[in-house]
Amino acid sequence: MLFSSAARCLLLVVLVVCVAGFWGSVWSQEGPRYTISGTVRGDKGEALPGASVAVPALSTGTAADSLGHFALPLPAGRHQLVVAFVGYQQLTRELNLTRNQRLNLALEASGNELGEVVVQGTVTLAAKLKSTQMGVERLTIREAKLLPALFGEVDILKTLQLKPGVQSGGEGTSGLFVRGGSADQNLVLIDNALVYNPNHLFGLFSVFNSDAVQSVDLYKSGFPAQFGGRLSSVVDVKMREGDRQKNVVTGGVGLISSRLTFEGPINKGKGSFIVSGRRTYFDIFTRALNKANEDTKDYSPIPDYYFYDFNLKANYTLGKKDQVFLTGYLGRDAFGFNSPGGFDFKFNWGNAIGSLRWNHTFSDKLFVNTSVSVSDYNYDLTNRFDQFSFGLGSNITDYSARTDFEYTPNDRHLLKAGAQLTQHRFGVGRLEANSGDGRVNFGSDVSYNGLDGALYASDNYKASDKLQLEGGLRLTGFQSGSNRYGGLEPRGSARYSLSNNTSLKASYAMMYQYVHLVTNSGASLPTDIWYPSRLSVKPQQSQQVSTGASFLLGKGKYLLTNEVYYKWGRNQVDFRDGAQLFVNPELDTEFIFGKSWSYGNELYLEKKTGKTTGWIGYTLAWSWRNFQPQRGTNGINNGEDFRPTYDRRHNLTVVVLHQLSPRLNFTGSFIYTSGSLTTLPLGRFGLQDIPGSRTGIDPRPVPIYPNRNSYQLIPYHRLDLGVVYKIGARLNQDLTLSIYNAYNRRNAYFVFFEDIEDENDRITGFQAKQVSLFPVIPSLTYNFRF
Amino acid sequence: MLALTASLPTTPLMLHFIKSVGFAMLLAGLAGCGSLQNDIDVPLPSYSAELVVECYLEPGKVPSLAVTTSVPYLSATLPQVPPDVKVTLTLPDGKAVALEFRPNYAVLLDTGSVIKFYTHIGRDTLKARPGDVFKLDVRDTQGRVVTGTTTMLALVPIDSVEYKFNDKTGSERKAYFLTNFRDPSTPNDAYRVQLHKGNPAKGALLKRPETDISLEDQLVNGKPVVVGTSYRFVAGDTVTVTLYHTDAAFYRFRQSVRDARSANGNPFAQPAAILSTVQGGVGIFSVLSATRATKVVK
Repeated sequence: MLFSSAARCLLLVVLVVCVAGFWGSVWSQEGPRYTISGTVRGDKGEALPGASVAVPALSTGTAADSLGHFALPLPAGRHQLVVAFVGYQQLTRELNLTRNQRLNLALEASGNELGEVVVQGTVTLAAKLKSTQMGVERLTIREAKLLPALFGEVDILKTLQLKPGVQSGGEGTSGLFVRGGSADQNLVLIDNALVYNPNHLFGLFSVFNSDAVQSVDLYKSGFPAQFGGRLSSVVDVKMREGDRQKNVVTGGVGLISSRLTFEGPINKGKGSFIVSGRRTYFDIFTRALNKANEDTKDYSPIPDYYFYDFNLKANYTLGKKDQVFLTGYLGRDAFGFNSPGGFDFKFNWGNAIGSLRWNHTFSDKLFVNTSVSVSDYNYDLTNRFDQFSFGLGSNITDYSARTDFEYTPNDRHLLKAGAQLTQHRFGVGRLEANSGDGRVNFGSDVSYNGLDGALYASDNYKASDKLQLEGGLRLTGFQSGSNRYGGLEPRGSARYSLSNNTSLKASYAMMYQYVHLVTNSGASLPTDIWYPSRLSVKPQQSQQVSTGASFLLGKGKYLLTNEVYYKWGRNQVDFRDGAQLFVNPELDTEFIFGKSWSYGNELYLEKKTGKTTGWIGYTLAWSWRNFQPQRGTNGINNGEDFRPTYDRRHNLTVVVLHQLSPRLNFTGSFIYTSGSLTTLPLGRFGLQDIPGSRTGIDPRPVPIYPNRNSYQLIPYHRLDLGVVYKIGARLNQDLTLSIYNAYNRRNAYFVFFEDIEDENDRITGFQAKQVSLFPVIPSLTYNFRF
Repeated sequence: MLALTASLPTTPLMLHFIKSVGFAMLLAGLAGCGSLQNDIDVPLPSYSAELVVECYLEPGKVPSLAVTTSVPYLSATLPQVPPDVKVTLTLPDGKAVALEFRPNYAVLLDTGSVIKFYTHIGRDTLKARPGDVFKLDVRDTQGRVVTGTTTMLALVPIDSVEYKFNDKTGSERKAYFLTNFRDPSTPNDAYRVQLHKGNPAKGALLKRPETDISLEDQLVNGKPVVVGTSYRFVAGDTVTVTLYHTDAAFYRFRQSVRDARSANGNPFAQPAAILSTVQGGVGIFSVLSATRATKVVK
């Protein structure tokens, strides 16, 4: 049944594409037109995905794809082609187009070898104005590296939190909450491979090493049809390809970690590679501290903790039409504790990701990317005591294959189509308990398989100089055991140019999510596991409409965008109070289901040209959820509408990057948001417990939490400042000073009630306490490139 | 306390450990950066007090229970004892017994008391056998009514108890203790295992236990279960194991109380509503089903 409807939907997709192609063919009979195509690369040979290739005189242009490829149909004749990318000098080239032409374009990095954002961004902003794509934010690592960062650790996910419509989960954390969606509703990709847990250390740092990343695109709405599987956003991270010209070593030494990267050409520039590693060194200090105090009475040793990650990318050009890419990632967090009483505890978690992609160009108008990938996330927790051992673990492993076609039949159409298939293995819980003498020997393994497939097609159609439309359909299906689900996800967007400097845009997208994060805390914990749609757990669904206007101001130096959105979802998941989420063979019964809706307005002013660049964003937003009484529970808050913790009414961000001289950059960012919501007890009672449970009356109050998220913390605001000072004759080294929370604001991390006791240890009252996490934190990082 | 068991209950402990240590680690690194904790005024929404019932019936004991009221969290008052509450206990044979309002306030002032506080108490000792159903009805003059029903579960025998010493000498020579029993094949069983040190005849079983472990049978249904301790007993200790066989509702109530207490001050805590076993108020109504075994560590 599912697949007969799937076949009908596929037929519909194919028909749409064929009709669109035919339409385009008819339209293109106006005169001779040719296509210029090729690759945009940086001066080190690295592809520049997202680079703008435009002919301003015709108000037409395109953006390079994830491999730096572009194809731009143009009428025959003379044209001035302008190519631009953030962090690179703009390239202008004169063309006399008399036939299809292939161009390999190389952009020079602006400034110096370490790079900075003195950009010729006019074309970039103009391309953004003219794109049908709404709700997308591109961030290059060059921008992120200049901005001040907590502990000096450049973090692209935290930088994305400075964009409008994106909220953080809490002080210092990398979690993204996009337009009212939760953190598990983000599709995080690295070179098209899925990243299940993008965090280190409970979300304080992301897994992306800034030395290995080229750029990241964040889609908040109007999702292109090639993306699916999550409801709220797509975080598309592209790794650097490595220098094709010469061997280069880069690195950095920071407050809590160091990085080292080696890159260079393969076979005289036919390819390149990059290998990058990063490791923290908390554990070196804590071990020294523990050793110094090992004879101190009552000293509690500090547990060991560190994380590391390795990135690898290699590419090789097999011929004029074929190129292969290999991407790898391995990251682990390791936590250990040995108590003097003989209790050993170890806890490790992390991702392992690999992907291999083959790019084949059939012609100037048609090329295909085909890739296979594997993504694994797991945690293992073990403890030992005497002859006894106990182990607990969970993992999710995906094997994926996908192919993506891109076809440019003429200058009116850009057609995309593809297919994707993923085999999931959900190791929901694995438990082992053993004793050396064999008397205790217990094991349990709760795991499920899942199969996830998708077909998609889309057409970006330029109806006229003023009107551009993009339509897409994505057919998805999921199977776990005997449970099958599927759906058709229509996508659409439109742009209408009122003038060369003003565009109106609108978009619609439907999304399904077939896997669900099992978490019941406000933080990102490594023990959070993924669970498939099966039995009573149906796929989550969301729809979003958005509309907006963009204005190019100040001779193209500024882009002002205002977007309004409304998003609504059903089958949203949460968990009953007191849910048991660990190694529960009946985990299905712990879910509860509800609906969500969110709406807001995002105002965004960008400047990407000149010595002073940056942006100002302001978001006014509302998020709501409703979980009716169900499954023997009162739902959430007795079925009344409630606001999730990340609902923030106001969110203002100001980011400024200023180049004072070739050696000196100043940067600053300011953020103000409404306080996050939290749950506080309203009442309390006393409890004695059964006879024989304690001596005397238990003085500890039992808190009563009638409703979730009923209290709002104080507004959050913070100013971060940074200075990047380049040293060395070739400016190939720098010292980066970051001052996090420059005016030492005591932002609220959480609030609790402390007992007030008299001299006899009797509780006489309670005092509310507010805990802040990070005061002002200066940090200095040394970066080099040789 | 360390639990060594072939069952799941250690996992919440470890999760708690992870969260606590993780958070402590974060704070420890920042402790030197000035005060990160300050007093604030929190205007909490109004809160309506509820009746709180705590009743553990024991075979062979006179039934009693404590009825109090909850109070707004930040108020200075202690939980109140309402004087206008009538309590009726319905026995398995259908006979309704009124429990008299006769609070033993004196134990509230005795920090060393091993007697539990009660507000209402019966006259006769309770007869209860596995399978017996008891009902409770609590109502005050304001119209608040709390009801509950509980069934006495089968006694689960303790198969064996044993201990083992570590390799150390002198005062560091200590033993851990193992309790072995088999979970019946029925689903949704839960247990509470307490170990008391001392002479039971001298009231040792009424004092604070050495260990107190709760577990469910989700992963060990119908299988042998081993519950252990850390190295904490020395030669000469008299150790008594009490194995309570409880239902899932009792287990979840205790877990919810623990979660609610730990949620106050833990930013990683999950939502922590109290999962009462009574209706119309807050609290627990249960009949205890306990087996015991005593062993002297030599």
